[in-house]
This record gives sequence, structure tokens and C-alpha cells, in this order.
Amino acid sequence: MPNDAPQQPIHSAKDALDALTSLLGGALPGSIAAADDPAAALLNDPDVAGAVTGRLRGAGSGAGNDTLCRWLYDAFRSNVPELQLAVLRFVPTLAGVYMCRAVSRKPLAGFEAVLLALYAHAAAQRGAGEAETVTLPNLANPSPYHDAKVPPKGKPAELDVAVISLALEPHGTVRATRRARIVGAVLELYHGKLAHMPLSSKMDFLEFCVAWAGTHSRLDDTDKPRLPPAPNATGGAEKWRRVPLPWELFQPVVRIVAHCLLGPSRSDELKAQATRAAECLYWRATETMEGGAVLATRSLVRLSQMVEEPIPEPSFSGAIENMAELEAMRANILNTKN
Amino acid sequence: MAAAAAEWDSGSEAGPTGEWPPATASPAKGKAALPEGSDAGASASGSSEAKVDEGNIQEAESSLREGLSLNYEEARALLGRLEYQRGNVEAALRVFDGIDLQAAIQRFQPSLSEKPLTKRSNKLRSDSSNSGSQHAASLVLEAIYLKSMSLQKLGKAMEAAKQCKSVLDAVESIFQCGIPGVMVEQKLQETVSKSVELLPELWKQAGAYQESLASYRRALLSQWNLDDECCTRIQKRFAVFLLYGGVEASPPSLASQTEGSFVPRNNLEEAILLLMILLKKWFLGKTHWDPSVMEHLTFALSLCGQTSVLAKHLEEVLPGIYPRTERWYSLALCYSAASHNEAALNLLKKSLNKNESPNDIMALLLAAKICSSSYLLASEGVDYARRAVKDSESSDGHLKSVALHFLGSCLAKKSRVASSDHQRSLLQTEALKSLNEAISLDRHNAELIFDMGIEYAEQRNLHAALKCAKEFIDATGGSVSKGWRLLSLVLSAQQRYSEAEVVTDAALDETAKWEQGPLLRVRAKLKVAQSLPVEAVEAYRTLLALVQAQRKAYGSIKNSAEEDEDKVSEFEVWQGLANLYSSLSYWRDAEICLQKAKALKTYSATTLHAEGNIHEVGEKIQDALAAYFNALSTEVEHVPSKVSIGVLLSKKGPKYLPVARCFLSDALSLEPTNRMAWFHLGKVHKHDGRLADAADCFQVASMLEDSDPVESFRLL
Repeated sequence: MPNDAPQQPIHSAKDALDALTSLLGGALPGSIAAADDPAAALLNDPDVAGAVTGRLRGAGSGAGNDTLCRWLYDAFRSNVPELQLAVLRFVPTLAGVYMCRAVSRKPLAGFEAVLLALYAHAAAQRGAGEAETVTLPNLANPSPYHDAKVPPKGKPAELDVAVISLALEPHGTVRATRRARIVGAVLELYHGKLAHMPLSSKMDFLEFCVAWAGTHSRLDDTDKPRLPPAPNATGGAEKWRRVPLPWELFQPVVRIVAHCLLGPSRSDELKAQATRAAECLYWRATETMEGGAVLATRSLVRLSQMVEEPIPEPSFSGAIENMAELEAMRANILNTKN
Repeated sequence: MAAAAAEWDSGSEAGPTGEWPPATASPAKGKAALPEGSDAGASASGSSEAKVDEGNIQEAESSLREGLSLNYEEARALLGRLEYQRGNVEAALRVFDGIDLQAAIQRFQPSLSEKPLTKRSNKLRSDSSNSGSQHAASLVLEAIYLKSMSLQKLGKAMEAAKQCKSVLDAVESIFQCGIPGVMVEQKLQETVSKSVELLPELWKQAGAYQESLASYRRALLSQWNLDDECCTRIQKRFAVFLLYGGVEASPPSLASQTEGSFVPRNNLEEAILLLMILLKKWFLGKTHWDPSVMEHLTFALSLCGQTSVLAKHLEEVLPGIYPRTERWYSLALCYSAASHNEAALNLLKKSLNKNESPNDIMALLLAAKICSSSYLLASEGVDYARRAVKDSESSDGHLKSVALHFLGSCLAKKSRVASSDHQRSLLQTEALKSLNEAISLDRHNAELIFDMGIEYAEQRNLHAALKCAKEFIDATGGSVSKGWRLLSLVLSAQQRYSEAEVVTDAALDETAKWEQGPLLRVRAKLKVAQSLPVEAVEAYRTLLALVQAQRKAYGSIKNSAEEDEDKVSEFEVWQGLANLYSSLSYWRDAEICLQKAKALKTYSATTLHAEGNIHEVGEKIQDALAAYFNALSTEVEHVPSKVSIGVLLSKKGPKYLPVARCFLSDALSLEPTNRMAWFHLGKVHKHDGRLADAADCFQVASMLEDSDPVESFRLL
């Protein structure tokens, strides 16, 4: 990490919180510094999130001497799992601002150092040269969830193997042509921890996702007043822009949007924004009519319009007659007592 | 007690008997009571009759116990159910709270499990003591299930989940060998099924994702005797959870699997397996059609690039589900994503037939896009794209811009194979017009800017091409390699070689080693163009080292077609070196390189042509001609061979001039910017005495001399 300012190394969540409060100065309310569970505060506290994302979006952030980037880098490299989660929480904003600004080729060594650290972590987790693959089932073979007749001198049927994420080559710097891959891999890392991420982090992601796609959702035309205006609320005058979305970036983006749209969260706000993002990505995919991208995003848009089947309510059909008896008895009992 | 319960049971099946007051037993009245209560807890609890406080409960319960000889739990269960049914969730909860499930289970256990649970179903059914205690168990378990539902309605998902889990635990401890299908009372089975289905959803709502996952697997892998519809719903919800849950699930651990069975290793595999099973169930008529299953599977398979597998599943969907044009379009998307363009186009043709849906804009766009990638189809593509443009007039600018983009690409492609100059220039003008119009609708689409740059470059409007190339690099932040190459080639066409080299070096900086091949090739050719043979050889050597390393690394692994496009082949390198050496008149070296090239690719027009060159220099005109003709027979449209034949023939005397002219014009119709062809055609005209024609040709040749890129723009 290119930074001359000597800083305390970060070994624990408490260290990280202390470092962050001194770094952000008065931006945080004092109560946070004394939080009982510093790791949880870093991950979930809205004040912390607001202050950090505000700084990340601010003008001039992400340069080589950005102390906040330094903090993110140190916190992630501490190898404390809770702290790593807290850093991942900021990936949407980090990647979002970075991609938008990188297109204009501004110096962003601070952002890049954090992204490379995350990328290196993902690569180490995966193992050198290992692609992430998916073996497609063939129903001719039995599985835990279904039976199948195994052919008598049973060779199991051939299985197709699909690559969901290519091997992660080591990268010491961000070269422009590998930028999408690096950010894509970082988003895959984020995708793996989605269940731990707070809602606001996902909302940040969807906001950038819409900007990256650079297209309009049909919703925008019809319901303009209902949707937030251009996402400048915290970013000042900077307008987040469309970025190149090759498949290696598009695919993890779509996976995260799918989670926001169809995952276990019950936030309507999140689902509405995810629907919008899915539509924007669909229109973006139609620009090139790439089959895979169109199919995946079209399915998301269609699924967003389908109603989820509710959990069945208990049925009393078999017992209605009995209930009538019971009710009568109960009424009797109550009457006689009164 | 058991006997009384059995009577109750038989009463529920056979209708009210004399024991009950007939006036209140009418089903109509019972039904009438239901909607009021099940409406909403808040409104129902307002009515005084429905209000139950703890004192009343106890009274009611004790009266019930006396009147019906029910035990404590059973009485509470019945009362709680009544409250729940009326929507008094909180009251129900208070009633249910008094039930001690553990105690109840222990009472049921011996009576139910001491008998061997085997197939003597008929006998057991008539066994009153068994069915009686089953009924009691059923009542209590239903109560706990309703308690769980009540908690869930009050937003206490975690507690609800715990209660629901205790129902399943109890069932498992009562029926240790799984639930035998034939022996279980219907009501009990219903409670079990509902609880099994409810539990994972409760864990999910409580945010306990790992528990949710485990309970899904428990639901599907244990013997609960679920009916098909219930099992289907659980499988679908589980697949959705696996796909979108954002939870890193450990794969199911299954010790007792038969050999050859498929055990999913991760979420995605498990989800795809479940979705495929769901589809198959539908094919077998075991469940109703659920459109979302196909959409989830589409999503999952497209993400891992397995659209040809998806196509198989789409094809298997029985008729009547999707309108056929929609199915064709979806299949076409699958096939085009799997690079089976021909199959995709055939399907689209069916769909765009005038009797089907000729104005389906998405199908038109896809067809135009597929056609824009091939010279042979470009003409057809123009038609599709025009129709798409017309269709998009009414809709928003976005699709119109896309349609115009594809129209421009198809026109440009078509112009390359135009039969006359006139037609070509018409097509080229139109192509530029379409692209310009597309850009005016969507100024931010980088691909559009790139295609525009290529078109300008092909038409040798280098100034405009340069502007587009720069704009493209700005719009993509230099992240797309072909943008750098376009800029470099345009500069080389303007003879600004040193600037082209600076661009190439900048591009090399932004490119990982492994993908530098095409850039290194451009660099080598730039050196050749500047007559720097030593540096050129050096550049080729670097390129060769890279290519050979790649071959070693990837040798055994099958490369995807996509990657191959951006790779330089070793053959090309040897061929390039051979050309370099022969331009320096190092014939021996050139021949060695050619041998190497030949060893890699036996029948190549380029190699044969280069051999011809060497023969020609060695004055072996017949051998040279033979080599050129061989080159033409391996590749009918090999322009350099046509030019060389034309040149050789034109030197053989006046008798051959018409033939020579034929070959040269032929070459020019394929590649109108071929400077050598124009030059020699001019010479032919001069020999024949058509001086004006000759002058025209020479003029074109001299104009082109200043605008040749170091390699064709078509390689981009």
C-alpha cells in the first residue's frame, strides 16, 4: 500500500474502530467509539456506514494517499474474519466509485490497493489456477433428491462441467484490460458473503448498478416521481457513469442483483430497487443481444413480476363440523357459568 | 379416553351422530362462523364473545375435559384451534402455551411404536386403540403447529421456528422408521406436511439461514410421506434459496448413497438439480406447470454459460405452454449464446415468417445481430435490421438505436462483398448514415463508436477513424484491447509509425502478459513497416516465446472459442517472419520459417503464396504460378494470390493481358483497397493502350499508398 503515514497496525476490531474514529474525526457520534461490539458496529452501524461511504464518494477519494483506503486495506489484511466482513460491506461503494472514475483514468492507487488485496484473498481462497466449476446433473443418474434406474453395468451418464468463474491469475497492479476481471472477482467475494451484508450495502450496490448499466428502466418513464432522483444525494456533483460491462463483470453483478430481488430479504425497498436494476441490465444486454446476458436478465425481470406462492395456511376443512360442536359447547359452558 | 376420542374421530368422518345437539351441528352454521374469525385477528378480537381470558380458558377447558373425557393437552389443543380459526392469534397462543409437548409425546410413544410398523395396514386401521392415540397425538401436534403459526403471525419468527421444529422432532421420535403412508390418519399427516413445509421458511424469516438450509434438506431427505404438490413447493423454495440466498452452504453429506449417484457439491449444483427434477415431475404429470421454475433454471444455466443444456430443457417443454414463436426466440437466444448461429437463425426465420410474428422486434434484432457476423448473411441481416428499425419507430429510442447499429454493421459487411464499385459506395454511405443515426440516439454506447471507427477506417477516412478510436478508448477507459489496436492501426495507415508504436507500448502496459499476442504482432509489423529488420525480428521473437508458452500451458486443455479469437497462432508468427526474411532477400531463412509454418498448418493459402513468392524471385515462373494456383484452390478468395497471378500473367505477353486483368479486377472486387492490384491493373491498361484508365488506376494506387495500415482492419 503506497502510503507514508505510519499507522498503528490493526489486529482486532477494537483497533480498527479506534483507527477509524480518529481518521474520520468528528464525523462519527462519540457513542460508536465505545460500542460493545466494535465489529458489529463497523458492519451494521448506519452512522459508520454513512460516514465511510460519504468519504469514499467524496471528491478526490481513492488516491494513493487516501487514509480511508489505507484503513480498509489494513482492516482487511488483519485476517480477522469479522473485520473482513466489515470491509466487504463497503465493496459496493468502493467498486462503484472506482469503476466510474477509472474510465476517466484518474489516479486511484488507494482504491486499487484495496481491490487488489481483496482479489488476492479471493485468489488464495480459490487456489492457484483453479476455476470455479459447476457439474451439471444428469437425471439419468440417481441423486439424493430423486431415484433413477442405474443402467445394469452401470456407468453413470456423462456430466457436463460448466465454468462459473475462470481461474484467478495473480495481479500485482490493475491493468486496464484486467480491471473488469479484478472487480468482478471482488464482487464474487462479496456475493459469497451476501447473507451477512446489511441492507444499506446492497442498496448502495444497486444504485451503482443502475449507473453502470447506463440505460433507463421502463419504471423510470412511468413512475418518475416515485423513484429517487439522480444519485447525487451524498456524492456532491459527481455523476456516476456508465462503464464497460464485459461478461466477467456483468455476470457477478447479475448474481448480486438476483439475490437482492429474489433472496430471503423482505424489504420492499430493496426489491423495488433490484427490479429497477434488473431492468436496466436487461436493456443493457439488448444492446449487444448476447444470448446469455439477455436470457439471464430477462428471467430476472420476469421473475420480478411473478407473485411468490405463499406458505399454505392451516386448513380446518376436515374439522368444521367438529368446530361447530365445540363452539356450541363452549357457548353452553360460558352461559351456564355466567 | 381412547374410546371417546375414537368416537370423536368417527364422528368427524360420518357426520354428527345422536350424541351431539342436532341444532348446532349443521355444517352451514359452522362454515358461517369461519370467515368472520379467519378475517383478521384484530377485528375479531374486538367482539366480546371471542375474548378469552385465562380464567375463562381454564373453565372452558375443565368443562371440556369433563364433557368429552379429553385430557388436559387435548382440551387446550381444541380450544386453541378454535381461537386461531377465529383469528384471535394472541388468545390462541395463550391457550397453546399451556401444552407440554414432551409429556404428551411420552404418553403417545409406547402405544404407537410398540407395534411393529409393518404392512398390515388394514388390520391396524381397525385397531381402535392405535387410531385413538394417533388422534390424540394429531390434536396435540396440530396445536403446536398452530402455535408456531400464531408466533409467526406475531412476528416472532425465531420462536415460531423452534416450536415448529419441536413438532417435527416429536413426529420423528414417535415414528422412528419414518411415516408409513397407509397408516396415518389424514389430519396428522396434514399437520406433519404443513410443519415440514413451514419450518425452513420460519428459519429464513428469523435470519437463521444455516438452519433453514438444514431443515430444507431434512424435509426432502427424510420420510415424511409428503404428497407431490407439497414436495414440489418445498423443492422449489429450496432451489430458490440456494440460488439467491447468498449463503455459502456446505454440500449435503450423504453416507448412504448408491454408487454412480449425483451428489451436488455446491449451492448452484444443488439448485440446478432440484429445478431439473421439478421440470421432470411436470413432464410426468405429477405437478402443475409453474413458469417460474423454467425462469430460475434459465437464470442458473445462462450464468454458467450452459445455454445448450437449457435449450434441451426448453425443447422438452410440452406444447401449449409457450407460444411457439416465443419458444423459438428463447431457443435462438440459447443457440446463439452457444455459438450455434445457424440453428439460431433457422429458428428465427420460422418465427419471423409472415404467418407467425414477423414484427417481433427482439427476434428481428437477434437475427440481424447474427447476420452481421457473416459476409454471406449480411444481405439478409440488412432486411431484418430494416424491419427492426421500422418496428422501433413507435417504441423508445433505445431499441431503435440498437436496430440502427445492427443495420449499419450488416450494411458495412455487405459492402465488403459488393459486386460493383457503385453498389459498394452506396452501401458504405448508408452504413455510415445508420451508425451515425444510432449514435445520435445513444451517445454512450462504446461498441457503436468502435464500429463507426472501423467503418471510417475501411473507407480510408482516417481522420474520422482516428477520432472514433480515441473516443472509444476514452469511453472504455482503455480497458478493451481492440480499441488500442484500432488506434495503432489507424496511425500506421497515416504513416505515423512512431506514434503508433507509442500507442502499442501504452496498450502493452495495460495488458496482462498472457493477452499481449495481438499487440506484439502489431508491434512487429510496425517495425517491418519502418524498415527496422533487426527490431522486427526481435519483436517476432518475443511474440514467438509468448505463443509457445501459451501452447505449452494450454496444450492439453480445450480452449473456448472465445479465447482463441484473441490469440496469435504460432503459424502466423512463422509466416510473418518468412515474409520479413523474404523482403530482406534472406531466402534460406525465409524457407526455414515457411517449413515451420507448413508443419503447423499443411494447406494454407498464405504459406503457398509465400512459397510462390520465393519461386518467383528465383525465376521459376511455372513453379510460382503453380504455387499461387494451389493457394487459390485452398482458399478461393485469397486476394494476394490473385494479384500475384495477375502480375505474373501480365508479364507473359499481350496475349495474357485480358486474363491478367480479370484476376486483378477480381482481387479488387474482394479488396478494393489493395494498392498492388490497382498499380498492376494500371500497368495492364497501359500495355493495352487505355491510358486514361491506366492513369485512374495509378492515381488510386498512389492515394492508397499513403493509407495502408500494417495489418487489415478486418482482423479487429
